[in-house]
Amino acid sequence: MGKRARGQSHIPPAWHWINERGLRIETGDATLAYYAALISQELPEIEDVIPADGSLLLVMRRGADLSADLWATLVTPPLGLQASKGVLHEIAVEYGGIAGPDLPELAEQARMDVATYINRHTAEEYSVAFLGFQPGFPYLRGLPSALHARRRASPRIRVAAGSVAIGGQYTGIYPAGGPGGWHIVGRTAAALFDPQRETPALLMPGDRVRFVPKDSCS
Amino acid sequence: MIEVLRAGLCDLVMDQGRPGCGALGVPAGGAADPAALAAANLLVGNDEAAAGLEIALLGPSLRFPLGGVVALTGTRFAATRSSGVDLAWNETLVMTAGETLSLERAEAGCRCWLAFRGGLLVPRVIGSRSTFLPAGFGGHLGRALRAGDMLAGGMPSGGVRLLRAQPPPGLEETSLRVVAGPQLGQFDEAGLTAFFAGTYRVGAASDRRGLRLDGPAVTHARVELPSQGVLPGAVQVPPDGQPMVLGWDGPVTGGYPVIAAVVTADLPKLAQLRPGDAVRFVTVELERARVLAAAQWEIEELA
Repeated sequence: MGKRARGQSHIPPAWHWINERGLRIETGDATLAYYAALISQELPEIEDVIPADGSLLLVMRRGADLSADLWATLVTPPLGLQASKGVLHEIAVEYGGIAGPDLPELAEQARMDVATYINRHTAEEYSVAFLGFQPGFPYLRGLPSALHARRRASPRIRVAAGSVAIGGQYTGIYPAGGPGGWHIVGRTAAALFDPQRETPALLMPGDRVRFVPKDSCS
Repeated sequence: MIEVLRAGLCDLVMDQGRPGCGALGVPAGGAADPAALAAANLLVGNDEAAAGLEIALLGPSLRFPLGGVVALTGTRFAATRSSGVDLAWNETLVMTAGETLSLERAEAGCRCWLAFRGGLLVPRVIGSRSTFLPAGFGGHLGRALRAGDMLAGGMPSGGVRLLRAQPPPGLEETSLRVVAGPQLGQFDEAGLTAFFAGTYRVGAASDRRGLRLDGPAVTHARVELPSQGVLPGAVQVPPDGQPMVLGWDGPVTGGYPVIAAVVTADLPKLAQLRPGDAVRFVTVELERARVLAAAQWEIEELA
């Protein structure tokens, strides 16, 4: 089978197929490093690489087979090719009130007052683990465990565009209005996704995010 | 130039989609049966990648002030030409100046594709002319056609040839062939039996994002699953046990276990399902799915 990385014994990541075109690879904490390695290779048999939570989905071109180059990339741990440290974005957020209707309840659940909750949410530097759900919707890693919250039992029919939300261990931002099951703590005016821009998504996997509380009247 | 006299239920400008944007959270989208649209394009002398219309259930009435060359593929709709000339599917059709093409209801199935010589010249958005309705971009102003819309066609090149297309075989079979999914192991015996032996009905709340199925509940261990990348055809099972087959405009990641995924060769069948239709699943091996995917449309000169 494939060559082993020099001087290291390495087990290739486990994989499963999602029909005959989707190769789901368990990449764990190395997901973005594998993503960077695979993207930089520009392998002709790969149509798309979709990073997710601890796994990558390689979408193979119709009729394509796994090449030796792809196999070699998978069995070589991408240690030397760490995902480059992404751009830092500061996102101004109006917390609470109409902009963040779930904030009081979440703060109570976390046994802190609203101001402390906001402080905890803004104190962290988050990293974009992956995008999904909607175009440009970032799953941000780094939420303090005290702020983790199960998704709402019943999703809202309409969440406003720009809503800053908490879902499980992630915080995220809804780029567009629509239904949503995460808890809404605030809102930003930043345009998370614009298909007419040269780079449509404001935040890309590997980018870093800091939330900055916007002075509000309250 | 094409004038929309009456819009259908959901007429969408589509091409072969925008693959390669999954990391942005943007699905590949494009024609639900890309090979059928590609074949229609070949029938009118276009490149396979040209933009045409995807028409669902109830079609539009279109006028061609300057005439044009068109072709229809996919399921047959009741249809007429104002000239009274017979209208065939899977063939090159020459429309005279001022002629109207009216599509009514689909006779069976759900979708057909209409290609125009020169292609539809809507702007490319993120590399494609396909409409992406969930976010309202691409295609004609990011939406389905409306009465009064005027569509610009591209400049055709070369002569017109009268051609006929033949779809690949095997699409009459009603069961959907699937490859077992990555979370198959999370389903118990009862859940697997329900899914693989049961008959499901396509639910009313189905669209290009996904088909909701009603039928025997598929039980599984409800462990929290980290979000994973998914594809059109992936069958996700939410906590209520009613499977959902992801469509062309579905999300690129999903947090529900994937019990199976419809093979690429059967995605055209998925494109033809409408609410109320019965669905059954049969498993095939990965290698078989690869062989099936090689089936192609054939194009020949009209005698």
